[in-house]
Amino acid sequence: MANLQDLTEAVIKGDEDKIKLTILELLNAGTPAKEIMDDGLIAGMNIVGGKMETEEMFIPEVLMSAKAMSAGVEILKPQLTDEENAASGTMILGTVQGDLHDIGKNLVKMLMEGAGFSVIDLGTDVPPAAFVDAIKEHNADIVAMSALLTTTMPKMKETMEAMENAGIRDQVKVLVGGAPVTENYADEIGADGYGYDAGSAVRIAKEYMTN
Amino acid sequence: MTTICSNQQALNSPLAKKLSEDQCRKLYWACLEILERTGVQLFEQEAVDLLKKAGAHISDGNRVRIPAGLVEKAFATAPKKITLCDRNGKRVIQAGGHQSYFGTGSDCLNILDHRTGERRQAVLKDIEEGMKLCDALEHIDFVMSMFLPSDVPQETLDRYEMEAMLNYTTKPIIYVTTEFSGCMDAVKMAEIVAGGPDALAQNPVAACYINVTTGLRHNKEALQKLLYLSEKGLPFTYIPSAQGGVTAPITIASTMAVNNAGVLAGLVISQLKREGAPFIMPGWGGNMLDMRTTIQPYADPEKRGQAIDFAHFLGIPTFGLAGCSESKLVDEQAAAEAALTLFTDAIFGGNFVHDVGYLESGLCGSLPQLAICNEILSWLDAFMKGIEISDETLCLDLIDEIGPEGQYLDCRHTLDHFRERWYPNLFDRSSYDGWQAKGGKSLGERAVEDVDRILQEHKPEPLPKDIAKAVHKVTEDAESKI
Ligand code: B1M
Repeated sequence: MANLQDLTEAVIKGDEDKIKLTILELLNAGTPAKEIMDDGLIAGMNIVGGKMETEEMFIPEVLMSAKAMSAGVEILKPQLTDEENAASGTMILGTVQGDLHDIGKNLVKMLMEGAGFSVIDLGTDVPPAAFVDAIKEHNADIVAMSALLTTTMPKMKETMEAMENAGIRDQVKVLVGGAPVTENYADEIGADGYGYDAGSAVRIAKEYMTN
Repeated sequence: MTTICSNQQALNSPLAKKLSEDQCRKLYWACLEILERTGVQLFEQEAVDLLKKAGAHISDGNRVRIPAGLVEKAFATAPKKITLCDRNGKRVIQAGGHQSYFGTGSDCLNILDHRTGERRQAVLKDIEEGMKLCDALEHIDFVMSMFLPSDVPQETLDRYEMEAMLNYTTKPIIYVTTEFSGCMDAVKMAEIVAGGPDALAQNPVAACYINVTTGLRHNKEALQKLLYLSEKGLPFTYIPSAQGGVTAPITIASTMAVNNAGVLAGLVISQLKREGAPFIMPGWGGNMLDMRTTIQPYADPEKRGQAIDFAHFLGIPTFGLAGCSESKLVDEQAAAEAALTLFTDAIFGGNFVHDVGYLESGLCGSLPQLAICNEILSWLDAFMKGIEISDETLCLDLIDEIGPEGQYLDCRHTLDHFRERWYPNLFDRSSYDGWQAKGGKSLGERAVEDVDRILQEHKPEPLPKDIAKAVHKVTEDAESKI
């Protein structure tokens, strides 16, 4: 008989087939979908996150786990209530205007998806107005901006102002990151959070969703 | 000036190779295959038009597939040797083949302040001091800005960098600009210093460092810079940044194939714009993302050597990368990584070798670390020389004359030749007691003192007042436009 522990281990191993099978078995046995999600999949991803921070797991392994977990989430989704589904959160992500660096942003995207977020990726060189439009269109919970250049960091501030002007600043949490960005800068422009790497960004985003 | 050159005398000076000629050929064919089959995306219409006219296949507006023949043709006109001059027009760098020159990197956001030991954001003054130091260090052959000034308007920071480089050293410059307008302004400044556009093209004091998004995706600014500089006949690097495991497959061969397909696309466009345009290609191959820390490592051993072999095979001068470290401090790791990377680039024969003095994977710089690198380069300069085996150096008559029981300390021959041998400056060779008598200091401490002494004593030749003023006007004009 499958148990939640098996599921957690399958997430850590990134074993998509095992995850799908185990979820079906657990559902058949009457385990609530919410419990499978929280105590199986998310519990597994939390361990993966920890192993990434202690550098025991390498990024491709983490991404494999994240991908496998997403496949599991797809099976669970129809079984969850709307309220439970919304709890995972929608995120708008992009590299700010004038900036073409996207490697860090793409890492953030993949890890966020692995953590269960539905991520709308606007790509690179994203103007403030495009962030605003996307927030409205997708009714987003979190806006995540990446900048790798000191010359483009001010665009983060401009994007914040554009959200303010559109009257939607209070609807979302704003998360920023990228090599030249600091905790201080995030405070200075009034962002809600700063992630020094992709893993810490995920940790903060998850906190927003539980609070 | 460094005289490092591997392969100077056949079988008589150090030389290293990783790739055989057939391996280079296979890699080259892979690049050609990628260009013909997969093609590149070019975000600048003029580049697309030039290629279309030359016979390339265009689809989806900007996806360009380039036939092999166009690449072959480009090699016929691309220069195999590139000259850079000092600020006074002296042709001090002749880069190509196995001849190596060394210089700093650009745009470190932070500095490890040698006066306080603190890591802080860099300011314009740091660039000025860095350039002064470079001006004095014998084995630094060209300069890049080292730091990114946080205390100037960020839209025009590249103008401040160029101005500081021109003002505080006479050595040749490799400049970086965020956007195309900054590149035109840097050229404007260089033209003022050289005495006009023709004088600059004949005796270029500066080359531009161009970065390209990836091997197969060429951003607008990169292509604008390439076209502009090609037309003017001014030298530039064209460096796509394919990253193994992220924007290219993880294997070294494949990352190199994707990246160099992009290099060759750039080469073709440059030669179509103007035959003879001085083009410099990357001297490292197989960049990776560290999959544990998500850092792009600079001192990675596996990306070294093979790209220089490949460039020698193609006959295009390289932009090497060495003297850099992942370390956060001027410590044992920093010294080891700097020494190993400088050693490999010297022995393989990279040409414009930059990033000397980089710490923290390109995010921090340190003046004492640069002074230590200068010492390593001095060591390498001595190591890389061939050995003369001649009657004078063998001196068999003298050996016979002195015989088994004599000594050589007071011989004329010793006096004539002992200064030819290498002596360290920063590295310590004292006895234990002698070292203690001098304060018992570590290499790092001695480097800090050396930097302080140079900054106090060295006076770089200033730019003539009117020239400096005209150069500054370019910065002012740029500023008034924001
Ligand atoms: C929303 O929440 C979050 C939370 C966390 C977030 C986040 C968002 N975003 C990132 N994070 C965080 O999590 C990630 C993973 O843990 C981390 O992301 P990172 O992106 O930091 O890390 C990546 C995983 C790996 N790191 C990287 O990908 C960046 C590495 C370095 C070497 C770098 C690269 C690779 C590139 N570059 Co550029 N580049 C440099 C970089 C130096 C460095 N050491 O950082 C830097 C940033 N570049 C610089 C420069 C000068 C430039 N670059 C340019 C171009 C490029 C390439 C295209 C060649 C390439 C980018 C390729 C690509 N597709 O992204 C040019 C600008 C182009 C433009 N308009 O954007 C150009 C101007 C050079 C030129 N003249 O062409 C320097 C900064 C200058 C400045 N003003 O600040 C620079 C520090 C290098 C240097 N020392 O000179 C964290 O920061």
